[in-house]
Amino acid sequence: MMADETISRVGPDRTEAYLDLLQMVTGVVLVAFMWAHMILVASVNLDLGGGRVMNVIARFFEATYMAQVGGPVIAAIMLAHFVFAARKLPFRAREQKAIWKHSLNFNHLDTWLWVIQAATAFIILIMGCIHMWTVLTSLPITAAKSARRIQGGWWLVFYLVLLPMIELHVGIGIYRIGVKWGFIKRAHRKALHRFENRLTLTMIGIGVVTLFTFLVLTKA
Amino acid sequence: MSGGVTMGRTLKFNIFRFNPEDPASAPRMDAYFLEETEAMTLFIALNRIREEQDPALMFDFMCRAGICGSCAMMINGRPDLACHTKTKNLPAEITLMPMPVFKLVGDLSVDTGTWFRAMNEKVQSWIHTAKRFDPGQEEERMDNALAEEIYEMERCIECGCCVAACGKANMVPENFMGAAAFNRIARFMIDPRDERNNDEYFEVVGNEDGIFGCLGLLGCEDTCPKNIPLQDELGMLRRKMGFSQVKHLFRALLPGKKMA
Repeated sequence: MMADETISRVGPDRTEAYLDLLQMVTGVVLVAFMWAHMILVASVNLDLGGGRVMNVIARFFEATYMAQVGGPVIAAIMLAHFVFAARKLPFRAREQKAIWKHSLNFNHLDTWLWVIQAATAFIILIMGCIHMWTVLTSLPITAAKSARRIQGGWWLVFYLVLLPMIELHVGIGIYRIGVKWGFIKRAHRKALHRFENRLTLTMIGIGVVTLFTFLVLTKA
Repeated sequence: MSGGVTMGRTLKFNIFRFNPEDPASAPRMDAYFLEETEAMTLFIALNRIREEQDPALMFDFMCRAGICGSCAMMINGRPDLACHTKTKNLPAEITLMPMPVFKLVGDLSVDTGTWFRAMNEKVQSWIHTAKRFDPGQEEERMDNALAEEIYEMERCIECGCCVAACGKANMVPENFMGAAAFNRIARFMIDPRDERNNDEYFEVVGNEDGIFGCLGLLGCEDTCPKNIPLQDELGMLRRKMGFSQVKHLFRALLPGKKMA
Protein backbone atom coordinates (compact mmCIF):
# COMPACT_ATOMS: atom_id res chain seq x y z
CA MET A 1 0.00 0.00 0.00
CA MET A 2 1.27 3.44 -0.93
CA ALA A 3 1.87 6.04 1.75
CA ASP A 4 -0.65 8.49 0.28
CA GLU A 5 -3.35 5.86 0.67
CA THR A 6 -2.73 5.60 4.39
CA ILE A 7 -2.00 9.23 5.29
CA SER A 8 -4.92 10.92 7.03
CA ARG A 9 -7.06 7.83 6.67
CA VAL A 10 -8.95 6.70 9.72
CA GLY A 11 -11.84 4.79 8.19
CA PRO A 12 -12.12 3.00 4.86
CA ASP A 13 -12.25 5.02 1.62
CA ARG A 14 -15.90 4.86 0.59
CA THR A 15 -15.72 6.77 -2.70
CA GLU A 16 -16.24 3.78 -4.98
CA ALA A 17 -19.32 2.69 -3.03
CA TYR A 18 -20.80 6.18 -3.31
CA LEU A 19 -20.11 6.34 -7.03
CA ASP A 20 -21.61 2.91 -7.64
CA LEU A 21 -24.71 3.79 -5.60
CA LEU A 22 -25.11 7.10 -7.45
CA GLN A 23 -24.67 5.34 -10.80
CA MET A 24 -27.49 2.99 -9.88
CA VAL A 25 -29.81 5.68 -8.46
CA THR A 26 -29.36 8.07 -11.41
CA GLY A 27 -29.86 5.09 -13.72
CA VAL A 28 -33.16 4.13 -12.10
CA VAL A 29 -34.38 7.76 -12.20
CA LEU A 30 -33.53 8.02 -15.91
CA VAL A 31 -35.21 4.69 -16.73
CA ALA A 32 -38.38 5.84 -14.95
CA PHE A 33 -38.20 9.20 -16.75
CA MET A 34 -37.66 7.66 -20.19
CA TRP A 35 -40.60 5.27 -19.88
CA ALA A 36 -42.87 8.03 -18.51
CA HIS A 37 -41.68 10.35 -21.32
CA MET A 38 -42.48 7.74 -23.96
CA ILE A 39 -45.98 7.15 -22.61
CA LEU A 40 -46.74 10.88 -22.33
CA VAL A 41 -45.56 11.65 -25.86
CA ALA A 42 -47.53 8.64 -27.11
CA SER A 43 -50.67 10.43 -25.87
CA VAL A 44 -50.73 12.03 -29.33
CA ASN A 45 -52.01 8.68 -30.60
CA LEU A 46 -55.09 8.85 -28.35
CA ASP A 47 -57.00 11.19 -30.65
CA LEU A 48 -55.25 9.91 -33.77
CA GLY A 49 -52.80 12.77 -33.98
CA GLY A 50 -55.26 15.53 -33.12
CA GLY A 51 -52.96 16.53 -30.29
CA ARG A 52 -55.68 17.64 -27.86
CA VAL A 53 -54.57 15.26 -25.10
CA MET A 54 -50.86 15.81 -25.74
CA ASN A 55 -51.24 19.60 -25.70
CA VAL A 56 -53.09 19.50 -22.39
CA ILE A 57 -50.33 17.36 -20.86
CA ALA A 58 -47.62 19.63 -22.28
CA ARG A 59 -49.40 22.73 -20.97
CA PHE A 60 -49.66 21.13 -17.53
CA PHE A 61 -45.89 20.53 -17.41
CA GLU A 62 -45.14 24.08 -18.54
CA ALA A 63 -47.70 25.81 -16.31
CA THR A 64 -46.20 24.03 -13.30
CA TYR A 65 -42.66 24.82 -14.58
CA MET A 66 -41.85 21.10 -14.51
CA ALA A 67 -40.61 21.29 -18.08
CA GLN A 68 -38.57 24.46 -17.62
CA VAL A 69 -36.95 23.24 -14.40
CA GLY A 70 -37.28 19.49 -14.79
CA GLY A 71 -35.79 19.49 -18.30
CA PRO A 72 -32.40 20.89 -17.29
CA VAL A 73 -32.46 18.74 -14.14
CA ILE A 74 -32.89 15.61 -16.26
CA ALA A 75 -30.07 16.81 -18.52
CA ALA A 76 -27.85 17.25 -15.46
CA ILE A 77 -28.79 13.80 -14.14
CA MET A 78 -27.99 12.31 -17.54
CA LEU A 79 -24.55 13.94 -17.58
CA ALA A 80 -23.91 12.84 -13.99
CA HIS A 81 -24.99 9.29 -14.84
CA PHE A 82 -22.56 9.29 -17.76
CA VAL A 83 -19.70 10.38 -15.50
CA PHE A 84 -20.56 7.77 -12.85
CA ALA A 85 -20.92 4.96 -15.38
CA ALA A 86 -17.90 6.01 -17.45
CA ARG A 87 -15.69 4.82 -14.55
CA LYS A 88 -16.39 1.31 -15.84
CA LEU A 89 -15.76 2.03 -19.52
CA PRO A 90 -12.48 1.15 -21.21
CA PHE A 91 -10.98 4.37 -22.59
CA ARG A 92 -7.53 3.01 -23.27
CA ALA A 93 -6.87 1.21 -26.55
CA ARG A 94 -5.33 -1.74 -24.69
CA GLU A 95 -8.47 -2.22 -22.57
CA GLN A 96 -10.79 -1.72 -25.53
CA LYS A 97 -8.93 -4.34 -27.51
CA ALA A 98 -9.02 -6.74 -24.57
CA ILE A 99 -12.78 -6.45 -23.98
CA TRP A 100 -13.56 -6.63 -27.70
CA LYS A 101 -11.45 -9.75 -28.15
CA HIS A 102 -13.03 -11.26 -25.04
CA SER A 103 -16.56 -10.45 -26.26
CA LEU A 104 -15.93 -12.02 -29.68
CA ASN A 105 -14.27 -15.18 -28.32
CA PHE A 106 -16.54 -15.69 -25.35
CA ASN A 107 -19.72 -14.80 -27.27
CA HIS A 108 -21.80 -14.55 -24.11
CA LEU A 109 -25.17 -12.78 -24.07
CA ASP A 110 -24.76 -10.62 -20.97
CA THR A 111 -21.28 -9.55 -22.06
CA TRP A 112 -22.75 -8.41 -25.40
CA LEU A 113 -25.54 -6.58 -23.58
CA TRP A 114 -22.92 -4.55 -21.74
CA VAL A 115 -21.08 -3.79 -25.00
CA ILE A 116 -24.38 -2.54 -26.46
CA GLN A 117 -24.94 -0.36 -23.41
CA ALA A 118 -21.45 1.10 -23.62
CA ALA A 119 -21.83 1.90 -27.32
CA THR A 120 -25.35 3.34 -27.07
CA ALA A 121 -24.24 5.52 -24.13
CA PHE A 122 -22.14 7.75 -26.37
CA ILE A 123 -24.82 8.05 -29.05
CA ILE A 124 -27.44 8.92 -26.43
CA LEU A 125 -25.13 11.44 -24.77
CA ILE A 126 -24.81 13.42 -28.01
CA MET A 127 -28.25 12.91 -29.56
CA GLY A 128 -30.03 13.27 -26.20
CA CYS A 129 -28.38 16.66 -25.67
CA ILE A 130 -29.37 17.80 -29.17
CA HIS A 131 -32.96 16.67 -28.58
CA MET A 132 -33.22 18.39 -25.19
CA TRP A 133 -31.71 21.63 -26.48
CA THR A 134 -34.08 21.72 -29.45
CA VAL A 135 -37.20 21.04 -27.40
CA LEU A 136 -36.37 23.16 -24.37
CA THR A 137 -35.29 26.22 -26.35
CA SER A 138 -38.53 26.29 -28.32
CA LEU A 139 -41.16 25.88 -25.63
CA PRO A 140 -44.09 25.49 -25.47
CA ILE A 141 -44.34 21.90 -26.66
CA THR A 142 -47.30 21.33 -28.97
CA ALA A 143 -48.28 18.38 -31.14
CA ALA A 144 -48.24 20.61 -34.24
CA LYS A 145 -44.70 21.79 -33.54
CA SER A 146 -43.44 18.25 -32.96
CA ALA A 147 -45.17 17.12 -36.15
CA ARG A 148 -43.55 19.94 -38.13
CA ARG A 149 -40.11 18.74 -37.02
CA ILE A 150 -40.78 15.10 -37.90
CA GLN A 151 -42.32 15.99 -41.26
CA GLY A 152 -39.19 17.96 -42.12
CA GLY A 153 -37.50 14.62 -42.76
CA TRP A 154 -34.12 14.80 -41.05
CA TRP A 155 -35.58 14.80 -37.56
CA LEU A 156 -37.47 11.61 -38.46
CA VAL A 157 -34.16 9.90 -39.22
CA PHE A 158 -32.72 11.39 -36.03
CA TYR A 159 -35.50 9.93 -33.87
CA LEU A 160 -35.51 6.60 -35.69
CA VAL A 161 -31.91 6.24 -34.49
CA LEU A 162 -32.31 7.74 -31.01
CA LEU A 163 -35.45 5.72 -30.15
CA PRO A 164 -33.94 2.21 -30.30
CA MET A 165 -30.68 3.45 -28.74
CA ILE A 166 -32.52 4.80 -25.70
CA GLU A 167 -34.87 1.85 -25.33
CA LEU A 168 -32.02 -0.69 -25.60
CA HIS A 169 -29.88 1.22 -23.10
CA VAL A 170 -32.75 1.67 -20.69
CA GLY A 171 -34.10 -1.88 -20.95
CA ILE A 172 -30.71 -3.54 -20.63
CA GLY A 173 -29.80 -1.06 -17.90
CA ILE A 174 -32.69 -1.88 -15.61
CA TYR A 175 -32.12 -5.63 -16.07
CA ARG A 176 -28.42 -5.23 -15.30
CA ILE A 177 -29.11 -3.12 -12.20
CA GLY A 178 -31.39 -5.95 -11.08
CA VAL A 179 -28.80 -8.70 -11.43
CA LYS A 180 -25.83 -6.60 -10.27
CA TRP A 181 -27.44 -5.44 -7.05
CA GLY A 182 -29.03 -8.80 -6.34
CA PHE A 183 -32.65 -7.67 -6.80
CA ILE A 184 -33.00 -10.30 -9.53
CA LYS A 185 -32.02 -13.73 -8.23
CA ARG A 186 -30.67 -16.65 -10.23
CA ALA A 187 -34.06 -18.36 -10.11
CA HIS A 188 -35.83 -15.46 -11.86
CA ARG A 189 -33.11 -14.18 -14.17
CA LYS A 190 -34.29 -15.90 -17.35
CA ALA A 191 -37.93 -14.98 -16.92
CA LEU A 192 -37.24 -11.36 -16.01
CA HIS A 193 -34.82 -11.01 -18.88
CA ARG A 194 -37.48 -12.24 -21.28
CA PHE A 195 -39.93 -9.76 -19.74
CA GLU A 196 -37.40 -6.95 -20.15
CA ASN A 197 -36.89 -7.87 -23.83
CA ARG A 198 -40.63 -7.72 -24.46
CA LEU A 199 -40.93 -4.42 -22.62
CA THR A 200 -38.11 -2.94 -24.72
CA LEU A 201 -39.75 -4.13 -27.95
CA THR A 202 -43.10 -2.73 -26.79
CA MET A 203 -41.52 0.65 -26.04
CA ILE A 204 -39.81 0.74 -29.42
CA GLY A 205 -43.17 -0.21 -31.00
CA ILE A 206 -44.97 2.62 -29.20
CA GLY A 207 -42.24 4.99 -30.32
CA VAL A 208 -42.48 3.96 -33.96
CA VAL A 209 -46.29 4.31 -33.92
CA THR A 210 -45.95 7.77 -32.34
CA LEU A 211 -43.44 8.84 -34.99
CA PHE A 212 -45.84 7.58 -37.66
CA THR A 213 -48.66 9.60 -36.11
CA PHE A 214 -46.55 12.76 -36.11
CA LEU A 215 -45.44 12.10 -39.67
CA VAL A 216 -48.79 11.27 -41.22
CA LEU A 217 -51.75 12.08 -39.00
CA THR A 218 -50.88 15.25 -37.09
CA LYS A 219 -51.41 18.60 -38.84
CA ALA A 220 -48.17 20.55 -38.69
CA MET B 1 -6.14 -45.57 -24.84
CA SER B 2 -6.89 -45.63 -28.55
CA GLY B 3 -9.70 -48.17 -28.18
CA GLY B 4 -13.43 -47.49 -28.06
CA VAL B 5 -16.26 -47.45 -30.55
CA THR B 6 -15.69 -44.76 -33.17
CA MET B 7 -18.47 -42.25 -33.71
CA GLY B 8 -17.75 -41.52 -37.37
CA ARG B 9 -16.47 -38.00 -36.93
CA THR B 10 -12.90 -36.86 -37.40
CA LEU B 11 -12.24 -34.09 -34.95
CA LYS B 12 -9.89 -31.26 -35.71
CA PHE B 13 -8.16 -29.73 -32.71
CA ASN B 14 -6.57 -26.29 -33.03
CA ILE B 15 -4.30 -26.05 -30.03
CA PHE B 16 -2.29 -23.08 -28.79
CA ARG B 17 1.41 -23.90 -28.48
CA PHE B 18 4.06 -21.90 -26.72
CA ASN B 19 6.76 -22.71 -24.26
CA PRO B 20 7.87 -19.55 -22.46
CA GLU B 21 10.89 -21.43 -21.04
CA ASP B 22 12.25 -22.13 -24.51
CA PRO B 23 13.82 -19.08 -26.22
CA ALA B 24 13.33 -20.73 -29.63
CA SER B 25 9.58 -21.18 -29.09
CA ALA B 26 7.12 -18.70 -30.62
CA PRO B 27 3.34 -18.68 -29.98
CA ARG B 28 1.48 -20.59 -32.69
CA MET B 29 -1.59 -22.75 -33.33
CA ASP B 30 -1.08 -26.44 -34.18
CA ALA B 31 -3.73 -28.66 -35.76
CA TYR B 32 -4.31 -32.30 -34.72
CA PHE B 33 -6.83 -34.80 -36.09
CA LEU B 34 -8.46 -37.57 -34.10
CA GLU B 35 -11.19 -40.15 -34.70
CA GLU B 36 -13.98 -39.47 -32.23
CA THR B 37 -14.80 -42.41 -29.95
CA GLU B 38 -17.81 -43.08 -27.77
CA ALA B 39 -18.06 -41.02 -24.56
CA MET B 40 -14.89 -39.15 -25.51
CA THR B 41 -13.99 -36.26 -23.25
CA LEU B 42 -11.34 -33.63 -23.92
CA PHE B 43 -9.30 -35.37 -21.22
CA ILE B 44 -9.27 -38.53 -23.31
CA ALA B 45 -8.69 -36.65 -26.56
CA LEU B 46 -5.75 -34.62 -25.24
CA ASN B 47 -4.10 -37.68 -23.71
CA ARG B 48 -4.44 -39.52 -27.01
CA ILE B 49 -2.91 -36.61 -28.89
CA ARG B 50 -0.03 -36.53 -26.43
CA GLU B 51 0.50 -40.29 -26.53
CA GLU B 52 0.05 -40.82 -30.25
CA GLN B 53 0.99 -37.56 -31.94
CA ASP B 54 2.89 -35.04 -29.85
CA PRO B 55 4.56 -35.98 -26.55
CA ALA B 56 5.62 -32.35 -25.99
CA LEU B 57 2.03 -31.07 -25.63
CA MET B 58 1.56 -29.44 -22.20
CA PHE B 59 -1.73 -29.51 -20.29
CA ASP B 60 -2.77 -30.15 -16.67
CA PHE B 61 -4.82 -33.01 -15.27
CA MET B 62 -5.22 -34.63 -11.89
CA CYS B 63 -8.56 -36.08 -10.90
CA ARG B 64 -10.33 -36.29 -14.33
CA ALA B 65 -13.61 -36.06 -12.38
CA GLY B 66 -14.26 -32.32 -12.12
CA ILE B 67 -12.96 -32.04 -8.58
CA CYS B 68 -9.37 -30.82 -8.71
CA GLY B 69 -9.92 -27.89 -11.07
CA SER B 70 -6.59 -28.19 -12.83
CA CYS B 71 -7.80 -28.88 -16.39
CA ALA B 72 -9.67 -25.62 -16.98
CA MET B 73 -9.02 -24.17 -20.42
CA MET B 74 -10.72 -22.10 -23.12
CA ILE B 75 -12.79 -24.50 -25.21
CA ASN B 76 -14.03 -22.75 -28.35
CA GLY B 77 -13.75 -19.46 -26.50
CA ARG B 78 -15.45 -20.55 -23.28
CA PRO B 79 -13.67 -21.57 -20.10
CA ASP B 80 -14.58 -25.03 -18.85
CA LEU B 81 -13.06 -28.18 -17.38
CA ALA B 82 -11.62 -30.41 -20.11
CA CYS B 83 -12.33 -33.56 -18.11
CA HIS B 84 -16.09 -33.11 -17.99
CA THR B 85 -16.47 -31.71 -21.52
CA LYS B 86 -17.72 -34.37 -23.93
CA THR B 87 -16.63 -34.02 -27.54
CA LYS B 88 -20.10 -35.07 -28.74
CA ASN B 89 -21.40 -31.72 -27.44
CA LEU B 90 -18.83 -29.82 -29.50
CA PRO B 91 -18.53 -29.14 -33.24
CA ALA B 92 -16.01 -31.17 -35.26
CA GLU B 93 -13.51 -28.32 -35.08
CA ILE B 94 -12.37 -27.56 -31.54
CA THR B 95 -10.10 -24.67 -30.59
CA LEU B 96 -8.26 -24.99 -27.29
CA MET B 97 -6.51 -22.04 -25.69
CA PRO B 98 -4.99 -21.51 -22.27
CA MET B 99 -7.04 -19.38 -19.86
CA PRO B 100 -6.28 -15.67 -19.99
CA VAL B 101 -5.41 -13.57 -16.90
CA PHE B 102 -3.26 -16.38 -15.38
CA LYS B 103 0.45 -16.88 -15.97
CA LEU B 104 1.21 -19.25 -18.81
CA VAL B 105 3.22 -22.34 -17.92
CA GLY B 106 3.19 -23.68 -21.47
CA ASP B 107 0.65 -24.59 -24.18
CA LEU B 108 -2.65 -25.16 -22.36
CA SER B 109 -1.21 -25.14 -18.87
CA VAL B 110 -1.53 -22.03 -16.70
CA ASP B 111 -0.47 -21.27 -13.14
CA THR B 112 -3.69 -20.73 -11.21
CA GLY B 113 -1.97 -21.56 -7.91
CA THR B 114 -0.05 -18.29 -7.55
CA TRP B 115 -3.17 -16.27 -8.38
CA PHE B 116 -5.36 -18.14 -5.88
CA ARG B 117 -2.70 -17.98 -3.18
CA ALA B 118 -2.51 -14.19 -3.57
CA MET B 119 -6.31 -13.96 -3.61
CA ASN B 120 -6.69 -15.99 -0.43
CA GLU B 121 -4.09 -13.81 1.28
CA LYS B 122 -5.81 -10.64 0.11
CA VAL B 123 -9.26 -11.64 1.38
CA GLN B 124 -7.62 -13.17 4.48
CA SER B 125 -9.35 -16.39 3.83
CA TRP B 126 -9.63 -17.75 7.33
CA ILE B 127 -11.94 -17.35 10.32
CA HIS B 128 -10.99 -14.23 12.28
CA THR B 129 -11.82 -14.76 15.91
CA ALA B 130 -10.50 -13.67 19.28
CA LYS B 131 -11.73 -16.92 20.84
CA ARG B 132 -9.04 -19.34 21.91
CA PHE B 133 -9.31 -22.84 20.57
CA ASP B 134 -9.95 -25.38 23.28
CA PRO B 135 -9.35 -28.91 21.98
CA GLY B 136 -11.10 -30.39 24.98
CA GLN B 137 -14.39 -28.66 24.35
CA GLU B 138 -17.22 -29.78 22.13
CA GLU B 139 -17.57 -27.90 18.81
CA GLU B 140 -20.04 -25.03 18.72
CA ARG B 141 -23.38 -25.88 17.15
CA MET B 142 -24.45 -24.32 13.86
CA ASP B 143 -27.87 -24.16 12.26
CA ASN B 144 -28.03 -26.79 9.51
CA ALA B 145 -29.45 -24.48 6.85
CA LEU B 146 -26.60 -22.03 7.45
CA ALA B 147 -24.01 -24.81 7.39
CA GLU B 148 -25.36 -25.90 4.03
CA GLU B 149 -25.26 -22.34 2.71
CA ILE B 150 -21.59 -22.07 3.73
CA TYR B 151 -20.88 -25.47 2.20
CA GLU B 152 -22.42 -24.28 -1.07
CA MET B 153 -19.71 -21.59 -1.27
CA GLU B 154 -16.99 -23.93 -0.05
CA ARG B 155 -17.51 -26.08 -3.15
CA CYS B 156 -15.22 -23.81 -5.20
CA ILE B 157 -12.44 -25.91 -6.73
CA GLU B 158 -10.32 -22.86 -7.67
CA CYS B 159 -10.24 -23.83 -11.35
CA GLY B 160 -10.21 -20.18 -12.48
CA CYS B 161 -13.05 -20.43 -15.04
CA CYS B 162 -14.91 -17.50 -13.43
CA VAL B 163 -11.83 -15.30 -13.77
CA ALA B 164 -11.17 -16.32 -17.39
CA ALA B 165 -14.84 -15.60 -18.22
CA CYS B 166 -14.77 -12.18 -16.56
CA GLY B 167 -14.79 -9.15 -18.87
CA LYS B 168 -13.31 -6.94 -16.17
CA ALA B 169 -10.50 -9.38 -15.35
CA ASN B 170 -9.70 -9.55 -19.07
CA MET B 171 -9.55 -5.75 -19.23
CA VAL B 172 -7.44 -5.21 -16.09
CA PRO B 173 -5.82 -8.59 -15.41
CA GLU B 174 -3.40 -7.24 -12.81
CA ASN B 175 -5.75 -6.01 -10.13
CA PHE B 176 -9.34 -7.20 -10.35
CA MET B 177 -10.24 -9.65 -7.58
CA GLY B 178 -12.75 -11.74 -9.51
CA ALA B 179 -15.73 -13.89 -8.57
CA ALA B 180 -13.64 -16.54 -6.81
CA ALA B 181 -12.50 -13.91 -4.31
CA PHE B 182 -16.02 -12.54 -3.88
CA ASN B 183 -17.33 -16.05 -3.30
CA ARG B 184 -14.60 -16.56 -0.73
CA ILE B 185 -15.32 -13.38 1.19
CA ALA B 186 -19.09 -13.92 1.03
CA ARG B 187 -18.47 -17.31 2.64
CA PHE B 188 -16.84 -15.68 5.68
CA MET B 189 -19.42 -12.91 5.84
CA ILE B 190 -22.23 -15.37 6.49
CA ASP B 191 -20.13 -17.43 8.92
CA PRO B 192 -21.08 -16.37 12.48
CA ARG B 193 -17.71 -17.55 13.78
CA ASP B 194 -15.88 -14.86 11.82
CA GLU B 195 -15.83 -11.71 13.94
CA ARG B 196 -14.88 -9.26 11.20
CA ASN B 197 -17.35 -6.36 10.96
CA ASN B 198 -18.77 -4.79 7.79
CA ASP B 199 -16.10 -2.08 7.66
CA GLU B 200 -13.34 -4.67 7.81
CA TYR B 201 -14.85 -6.56 4.87
CA PHE B 202 -15.41 -3.25 3.11
CA GLU B 203 -11.72 -2.43 3.48
CA VAL B 204 -10.89 -5.55 1.46
CA VAL B 205 -13.66 -5.68 -1.14
CA GLY B 206 -15.37 -2.26 -1.20
CA ASN B 207 -13.27 -0.71 -3.95
CA GLU B 208 -12.62 -0.61 -7.68
CA ASP B 209 -10.56 -3.82 -7.63
CA GLY B 210 -13.33 -5.41 -5.61
CA ILE B 211 -17.09 -5.60 -5.92
CA PHE B 212 -17.52 -2.01 -7.19
CA GLY B 213 -15.27 -2.76 -10.15
CA CYS B 214 -17.47 -5.73 -11.11
CA LEU B 215 -19.39 -4.97 -14.32
CA GLY B 216 -22.08 -7.55 -13.58
CA LEU B 217 -21.62 -9.37 -16.89
CA LEU B 218 -22.30 -12.72 -15.20
CA GLY B 219 -19.68 -14.55 -17.26
CA CYS B 220 -18.70 -16.17 -13.96
CA GLU B 221 -22.25 -17.25 -13.14
CA ASP B 222 -22.73 -18.74 -16.60
CA THR B 223 -19.48 -20.72 -16.70
CA CYS B 224 -18.77 -21.92 -13.15
CA PRO B 225 -18.38 -25.69 -13.63
CA LYS B 226 -19.51 -26.30 -10.06
CA ASN B 227 -22.61 -24.16 -10.57
CA ILE B 228 -21.92 -22.07 -7.46
CA PRO B 229 -24.65 -19.37 -7.17
CA LEU B 230 -22.26 -16.53 -8.00
CA GLN B 231 -24.94 -14.17 -9.29
CA ASP B 232 -26.77 -14.27 -5.96
CA GLU B 233 -23.56 -14.00 -3.93
CA LEU B 234 -22.14 -11.08 -5.89
CA GLY B 235 -25.52 -9.34 -5.67
CA MET B 236 -25.60 -9.88 -1.91
CA LEU B 237 -22.06 -8.61 -1.56
CA ARG B 238 -22.66 -5.45 -3.61
CA ARG B 239 -25.88 -4.72 -1.73
CA LYS B 240 -24.34 -5.30 1.66
CA MET B 241 -21.20 -3.30 0.87
CA GLY B 242 -23.08 -0.54 -1.00
CA PHE B 243 -26.17 -0.02 1.13
CA SER B 244 -24.16 -0.02 4.35
CA GLN B 245 -22.45 3.12 3.05
CA VAL B 246 -25.65 5.11 2.45
CA LYS B 247 -25.55 6.65 5.94
CA HIS B 248 -21.94 7.71 5.34
CA LEU B 249 -22.91 9.17 1.97
CA PHE B 250 -25.55 11.39 3.58
CA ARG B 251 -23.02 12.47 6.17
CA ALA B 252 -20.52 13.26 3.43
CA LEU B 253 -23.03 15.27 1.40
CA LEU B 254 -24.60 17.19 4.28
CA PRO B 255 -22.75 20.20 5.68
CA GLY B 256 -21.25 20.05 9.18
CA LYS B 257 -18.39 18.44 10.99
CA LYS B 258 -17.17 15.28 9.22
CA MET B 259 -16.42 12.11 11.05
CA ALA B 260 -14.66 9.07 9.65
